[in-house]
Amino acid sequence: MERRDFLKYSAGSLAALVVGSEMPWLMESNAYAAFQTPTLNFTITDAMKEMVTHNPFNDARCYFWIYKSNTPNLLPECPGPTIFTTEGDIVTITLTNNLDEPHSLYIPGIFSSGPIAPLATKTFRFRALRAGTYLYYDNLNAPVNRVMGLHGCMIVMPRATHPGHKFTPYAAPSPAVQKLFDDFGTSAHFPGLSWEQGDPATDTPAFRQYVWLCHQASPILFAEVGNFTAGLDYPAAQFANLFNNDPYVDTFNTGIMNRKPHFFTISGQSGHFAHNNPFLCPNNRVGEPVIIRVLNAGLQAHSMHIHANHVFTTSINGVVQENPLWVDTMTLYPLDVWDWTVPYIRPPDIPNIRGIGKADTPLTSITNPGIPGSVPHPVWPPTEELNTFLPPVGTLSGGLTGIDISCQLSPMCYPMHDHSEHSQGAQGGNYNCGLISGINFTGDRNTAGGVTTFPNVPTVHGPDGTGPAAG
Amino acid sequence: MSVASPAHIIPRRSVVGEEGEWCKMFDPPTASPATCELVAPTNPVPAFVAATVPGATNTIPFTIRRGLMKTTRIDMWDGNRVDFFTFDDPDIASTNGGVWPAPTIRMVRGSIFHCQVAAGGPPPHTIHWHGQEPTPMNDGVGHCSMEIGSYTYQLQPNFIGSYFYHCHRNTMQHFEFGLYGFTIVEPPDAYAQQNPALPNYAGGYPRRTAANLINFPQFPGYVPGDPVHGVAGPGGLNGLPGQPALDPHAYTVPYDVEALWVLDDRDSVWAANMKNARATFPAHGLVQPGVDDQFFKGDFHDFNPDYFFVTGVPFPGPVGSTVPCASNVVVPAELNSGVVGMQVPVNALRNQTILIRVLCAAYVFIRVTFPVDVVVIAYDGRALGVPPFNQYNHAFLVPAGTPMDLSTARRFDVLMRSSSTVSSFASVQFRHNRNNALLFTGQIPINIA
Repeated sequence: MERRDFLKYSAGSLAALVVGSEMPWLMESNAYAAFQTPTLNFTITDAMKEMVTHNPFNDARCYFWIYKSNTPNLLPECPGPTIFTTEGDIVTITLTNNLDEPHSLYIPGIFSSGPIAPLATKTFRFRALRAGTYLYYDNLNAPVNRVMGLHGCMIVMPRATHPGHKFTPYAAPSPAVQKLFDDFGTSAHFPGLSWEQGDPATDTPAFRQYVWLCHQASPILFAEVGNFTAGLDYPAAQFANLFNNDPYVDTFNTGIMNRKPHFFTISGQSGHFAHNNPFLCPNNRVGEPVIIRVLNAGLQAHSMHIHANHVFTTSINGVVQENPLWVDTMTLYPLDVWDWTVPYIRPPDIPNIRGIGKADTPLTSITNPGIPGSVPHPVWPPTEELNTFLPPVGTLSGGLTGIDISCQLSPMCYPMHDHSEHSQGAQGGNYNCGLISGINFTGDRNTAGGVTTFPNVPTVHGPDGTGPAAG
Repeated sequence: MSVASPAHIIPRRSVVGEEGEWCKMFDPPTASPATCELVAPTNPVPAFVAATVPGATNTIPFTIRRGLMKTTRIDMWDGNRVDFFTFDDPDIASTNGGVWPAPTIRMVRGSIFHCQVAAGGPPPHTIHWHGQEPTPMNDGVGHCSMEIGSYTYQLQPNFIGSYFYHCHRNTMQHFEFGLYGFTIVEPPDAYAQQNPALPNYAGGYPRRTAANLINFPQFPGYVPGDPVHGVAGPGGLNGLPGQPALDPHAYTVPYDVEALWVLDDRDSVWAANMKNARATFPAHGLVQPGVDDQFFKGDFHDFNPDYFFVTGVPFPGPVGSTVPCASNVVVPAELNSGVVGMQVPVNALRNQTILIRVLCAAYVFIRVTFPVDVVVIAYDGRALGVPPFNQYNHAFLVPAGTPMDLSTARRFDVLMRSSSTVSSFASVQFRHNRNNALLFTGQIPINIA
């Protein structure tokens, strides 16, 4: 990754802080702006964030309390940086509270700082006891401080495999989960790479993993908390009640908001900025299984629906699943932390000779006279579709002065969205300001002749600049 | 520290350089493309429907059709009238005004399924085949491909189980307003026997579905399969040359009675404020996309349902109440791919195997409690314990009285069988996803005589 990309993506949860044992696979991955650091040094502070919108006439701003990394000096963001460490490592963390009331940092089962007084600085050490996914957050005046933005994700990687087995994300995997990870890259139904395997020749990192840290933001209520009497805690029960039950008001074309949440984010991003973003949306080939760590820091539940692959729910709230369900939708309650294991099989309802979803011989297409140059060919890889542009080349954004907004259907784009669809309605609707990300298919490791890579695969891309709108 | 003078500003990101993806996500292109990677369809169901359902036709061989969208005004239990958005099936005359829920689509595993869709009324629309996993153009998500226009969707249903289909255009509105129907993938030979006088007749019961019941011998007729290769073995359906096909019934179980429970909710304030199907249709920026886009602010992120349903059958009562639905509702064959006798409330006999397919189509969550033991055999169209892909889990018993939670779009299939009579209800609590607050309790009759 170029240095400028590091800086661009060093904001909050899109950056990864590696503390303790080194993780070369992570430092080499284009999907992370990763920084090795000997200790963690966070300030508890506040920020005004310009939220996603489509129009600068909308005052789409929201006040947050945040954990900000000082060394390395990362850009402020809500949520805080993603912390990577290794099971058994000792982590040193220094916390400075720049807010007006006591705050803390709490990691369930691992660490509790207790209250840190305003303007105080304290240093702690803790051992990363157990591999897994954790929400770190301020547990004081619950749920106010956490929901105001003081949260982030910590990932503890296992130190070693069990003899004779491959890596899983867990210290003590259930037999079923161990077998699943053993089968990746080895069994006939999961050809390709193991989870622990990368391939420098194809720019494929090992231990592929992503974080979807979900949250809901209420601009009116968060401002009330920020403006509350300095040094006093905002009443927690009142906060939770207003957040969830403030009476409905008709906001239709008025701009008036109640104190319910009006923005729904994944790792601080919404809509396009969470979906078409290779730091959040996996871009991988068939045969490159990935882990997605899904967390909910907020007070409302979501129903997370993923397209193109059913996914194994391998861990729920620290419990490695004895019976890991293979699902397309999963409930994400407040404070939930679970792992999805995406097998990255060929989308299995693409026609194949046996009709059983396995990635074997694709059927052969017939000539479609509606497609110029169409001749019979194997339906996978779907070359006719990958070469289609929708909208077509030459489509302008507006009038003759607009820019070309054509999009090629490559890599293969699929969404993951909250199917409790009201979260998709922020700022007026239709996904682009909602709680959505996705998975993309960038090729196939198992095609005849070797690894296939589809056109337009991102290495790292994303919005370079800031502006009056949109995300 | 204060809202007026925060320590940090987190600036808004621009879409410069990504205008195409931004515009496409707000306002996907409307198109009527040819189907890429076209394969000749082989779905046997539309011909069977045309042959058995009075007045039904099969206009395009091996292909079903759907039209959307219609607007259908439905009377609520209290006299209020609420607008629904609906599909029709141009090959079934009685659906021409639109029906809700849309007709159930049955497909057989391994066939090539085509659905020719024409979008009328306020376009555009799509169909997303929820839980089925084809290429992006056939996945029906506008911002990842296109909205239509007209199009022939193509996929090969490769996993027996329960799914649904819905419009993925502005889903928060179009799905809430009713643009969905159920999808059932059945064993490869489910439509093979077309003589109603013979066993395994395609238009009736018993039928079969996928399961691994090695630990549940109480369900007779279960056929095990190859523990490594699963449903089709090394050869299998349309098998590899020189290798034997396995039993198409491998890893399936017969059932005598089938009930479909699609739990849904409606918010009458949404219904009144957003009855225009174009509500929230944006126009991307003429000058600078992502900056001067124009559209409504809308009410769509504050959802407060006040009407509750199972498979289109109302629970006639206000928020806060506990109310049963009608006790004898059967889905007509013309709305069920030619199959006669699918139930909503369960009316069965002792020692019959009963399959209940449950879908949460509500935007709030549901909690289902059965009055008798059930065995969960599938989640989200994937039969538990069926190799190769699903060898990592297993079917499990849920004792009577145990609540089971589902959030929007999740499904499970359960088997029930009782040697004694039952006259009771399954309870379905609707709970808000905001705070898990109990909104309403529907009761679905279960009578085993």
